[in-house]
Amino acid sequence: MIEVSALCKAFGRQTVLRDISMSVRRGEIFGIVGHSGAGKSTLLRCLNGLETYDSGSVKIMGQEVGELAGSGVLQLRRAMGMIFQDFSLMSRKNVFENVAFPLKVWNTPWQRMAGRALALLGKSGSGAERTRPCLSAAQIHERVMSLLDMVGLAHKSGERIQSLSGGQKQRVGIARALALNPGILLCDEATSALDPQTTMSILDLLEDINRKLNLTIVLVTHQMEVVKRLCHRLLLLDAGVSQAVGRTEDLFLTPPDNLKKFIDEEFTVLPAGINIRLTFPREIAQQSIITGMARDLDIDFSIVGGKLERYLDDVFGFLIINVQREQVEAVLAYLRGRQIPGQILDEQAPGHMRDTGV
Amino acid sequence: MSGETSFFDAWIKGFVDFWPELLEASIDTLYMVFTSTLLSLFFGFFLAVLLIITHPGGLRPQPGIYRVLDALVNLGRSFPFIILLIAIQPFTRLSVGKTIDSEAAIVPLTVAAIPFAARVLEGSFLEVERGVVEAARSFGAGTGQIIFRVMLPEALPALILNAAVIAVTLLGYAAMAGVVGGGGLGDLAIRYGYNRFKPEVMLYSIVILVIMVQCIQSLGNLLYKKLR
Repeated sequence: MIEVSALCKAFGRQTVLRDISMSVRRGEIFGIVGHSGAGKSTLLRCLNGLETYDSGSVKIMGQEVGELAGSGVLQLRRAMGMIFQDFSLMSRKNVFENVAFPLKVWNTPWQRMAGRALALLGKSGSGAERTRPCLSAAQIHERVMSLLDMVGLAHKSGERIQSLSGGQKQRVGIARALALNPGILLCDEATSALDPQTTMSILDLLEDINRKLNLTIVLVTHQMEVVKRLCHRLLLLDAGVSQAVGRTEDLFLTPPDNLKKFIDEEFTVLPAGINIRLTFPREIAQQSIITGMARDLDIDFSIVGGKLERYLDDVFGFLIINVQREQVEAVLAYLRGRQIPGQILDEQAPGHMRDTGV
Repeated sequence: MSGETSFFDAWIKGFVDFWPELLEASIDTLYMVFTSTLLSLFFGFFLAVLLIITHPGGLRPQPGIYRVLDALVNLGRSFPFIILLIAIQPFTRLSVGKTIDSEAAIVPLTVAAIPFAARVLEGSFLEVERGVVEAARSFGAGTGQIIFRVMLPEALPALILNAAVIAVTLLGYAAMAGVVGGGGLGDLAIRYGYNRFKPEVMLYSIVILVIMVQCIQSLGNLLYKKLR
C-alpha cells in the first residue's frame, strides 16, 4: 500500500529526514512515533505530496509520489484522507458544510459538464470517474449524513464549528477526511489537543473505522498510549533518523535502547540505585515469579513501580524493582531462566525525581 | 441668553443657506469614495491574490516575483496623494478622457488606494489559518479552489473590515480632489471655510465627514459581527 525507501529531506541546510524506509500494508494501523521536531509530520506530508522530498522513493499504491504531475497529485490526495492536531475546520461553515466540502471540490459544475459531455459522446470515462460519478445535491446530503452518523454527530449537522468540543471537532475532521472514500487515512497528532478520555473515544472510533472500512491508517504521534492502544506496527523516529521499525508489542516487550529512553519517560519517581523493569506477558503474569525469586535467591528488593497496560487487544504487566548492586547479575540470570524480559533502567542520580505516574 | 440664541440662529441659518452646496458636495464625496473604494478593492484583490500565491510560504512560492510585487506595492504606497494626483494626470486623461471633475478624481484615488488595498487584503488572507488551507490541499483542492472557496470565504469578515478602513482612508484623500475640481466636502471646506473666511461652512463639512466616517466604520463592524 505504502512503500517508502531511503527517503531524505532537508529544509535548507537542515536535514529533517535521513534515509527513512518503511512499508505499510493494506488495512494496517501504522504509527510514526517520536518527539516533536523529529520529522514525523514532514514524513507524513511526504506521503500525500504536501511536502516534496529530495531523494529516495515514496510509492503509494505503486505510484511514485514525486513523479506525479499537478492533477496526478490532486488525484492521489483524493485517495488519501487526512486529519490534523488543530482540526483545521473552516470556521465560517457549519458541520454539514465542512464534511460536504471535499465532495464539492470534486464535484464542480465544470466537472459535471465534462462528465455529461463524456456520457453524450458515449465514452465511459476513466476508471475513477466511473466509480465516482458526479453527485447530485441529494446524494451529497445522503453521503454527508451517513458520515456524520458514523462519527456520531448526525444531530449536530447544522451547528457552527465554534460551538463544538475538541472531540466533536475531531469527529467532524474524521468525517471530512473520509468523505471521498479514501483507502488511506493520515493522522497528524490527531489526539494531541484532546484530554485523555476524549483521546480514547477518538482512538476507538479510528479502530472501528479501520475494521469496518478496512482502511489503512498512518498516524503520527508522540503519545505512547495512542501507539499502544492502536498501532499494529510502528516506526520510531529521532532527529530525522529511523531508530526502530517493528511490531508494537515486540518493540515494547524488548525495547531497543532508543525506544527504552522513550518509554522510561513515562516513569515515575525512581529511587537511586539499580532499577530493573520486568515485563510480563499475560501467560506469565499468572505465576508468582516475584515472590519465587525472593525465596530462591534469598534476597531483598523493593517494588517501586508497576502497571498493567493494554497493547492493542492484549494486556501486559510491568514491574519495576530496585535491587542491590551486587545482586543485579543474579536477578537478571534468574529472569533469563524464566524467559522474562528484564531491563536495567538508566541509573538515577540521587535526589533526582521524575513526575510520578505510577 | 440672547448671545447663545443668535449663535445657534446664525448656525442654523448658515446651514439652511448652504445646504444645496453641502448636499452637492456630500454627493460628490460619496460618489468618489464609493466608486474608488470598489475599484481599488477589485484591482487590489487580484494583486493580493498574486501576493499570497507567490509568497515564499504561499500556494505556489515564487520568491522572485513576490519581491518585485512587494516592492511595487511599497512604492505605490509611498507617494503622497497630492503629488500622485497631479503626476498621473496624463494617465487620467487617457482612461476617462478628462482631468477635471469628480470622475477625473476617481482615477488617482483608485490608483493611490490599489497598493494599500492589496496590502490590507493580503493581510486578511494571511490570517486564514494555515491548517485550514493545508486541509483543503490534503483532499485535493486546487490553487483556484483554495483561494476562492476556502481563503476568500474564511477571510470575508476581515476583508469587509478592511474595506471599511480603505473607504475611510479614501474619504480623507477625497478632500484633496478639489485640486482637480473634483468637488466634495473637503473642497467645500477649503474654498469657503479657509479661502473665504466662513468657518461655519468648514464646520458643517467637518460634521458631515465625521458622520460619514462613523457610518462607514459602524457598517463595517456590523457586517463583520454578522459574518463571523
